[in-house]
Amino acid sequence: MRIETCYFCSSKIYPGHGVQFVRNDCKIFKFCRGKCHKAFKRKKNPRKVGWTKAHRKWAGKELTIDPSFEFEMRRNVPIKYSRETWQKAAVAIKKVTEIKERRERHFVMERLRKGREVEIQMDVKDVQRNMSLIRSPAAGLKERRAKEEAEEAALMDDDLSEEKITYVDARELEKRLEEGLGVEDMEMLEA
Amino acid sequence: MGMVQKRKKMHYGDTHLQRRWRVRNRRRDLDQIDDDMRTQSAELINQNVDLDKPGFAQFYCVHCAKYFIDDTALQSHFHTKVHKRRLKALELEPYSIEESERAVGRGSYQKAKKRVIETQPSKDEVKAGKRIKVEDKDTEEPTTSAKVTRKRPNKMET
Repeated sequence: MRIETCYFCSSKIYPGHGVQFVRNDCKIFKFCRGKCHKAFKRKKNPRKVGWTKAHRKWAGKELTIDPSFEFEMRRNVPIKYSRETWQKAAVAIKKVTEIKERRERHFVMERLRKGREVEIQMDVKDVQRNMSLIRSPAAGLKERRAKEEAEEAALMDDDLSEEKITYVDARELEKRLEEGLGVEDMEMLEA
Repeated sequence: MGMVQKRKKMHYGDTHLQRRWRVRNRRRDLDQIDDDMRTQSAELINQNVDLDKPGFAQFYCVHCAKYFIDDTALQSHFHTKVHKRRLKALELEPYSIEESERAVGRGSYQKAKKRVIETQPSKDEVKAGKRIKVEDKDTEEPTTSAKVTRKRPNKMET
């Protein structure tokens, strides 16, 4: 007596359930129900069918590599019965399943947390990109205009003050030029 | 009205598909083809004359597990979508019974490897010693992958 695993969805097959198909190269394929058998006949790839265990592992939705998976193995040689080993095994199985479940839960939570981070990032991006939908482009238009006007006025004042008008006597200038001083020198003198 | 009233059929059902899915119409599975590719590609490409097979079993596509009637049919098959799809499907390691068990927690689950699959060599090339080679794809170095794929034809000659 043995609880088999389904070839397609990897679920348990209890005695008296499911069907098996023996291919002409003697490989035995076991199926838990008609759904899986039919999918096999249609040559579906279990990795690409969303509801199978193989897909969940392949897509990285479940914990894949862990030492806790190495305990359970297919044993083709029977062990001789001894009361002690069975008792120990019963305790160990409970412990191992508990650890396994905890690790799997932790893995899933970590995975979901990552998704949450991405979600937040996407939200921020979305808001930044569509700012115009939240804030009207005309918001604060009056204030902005008033500010601009004030700035312009300030600029006008600056222009007036900056322009320094110096009066030079034309005759004196000519005299100086004759003496041999350049215009630049004159400016130097003035400074 | 004296005429025979016949019901108008709106659906043609999937009888034609059901026939294809019958066990007696079963073709080779991907894992069997994978085995063929790796172990007995030469024997399959250069088969003995078998009068019952199409084209006397002289024009066989290993990847599609199919006989053709002559060389032109085989060569044109290599350019079809069916063949290219099959090459693509064989890129990943085939699913196995062991994988179904690993998926449920009997041993750690290893992800299937990707491989480089190319159309089979011609008969003369096989006689010269060329075989279908199945190599793992280098996934770690995406920058050099283009170079590797270009080099691959040379490697095939070994």
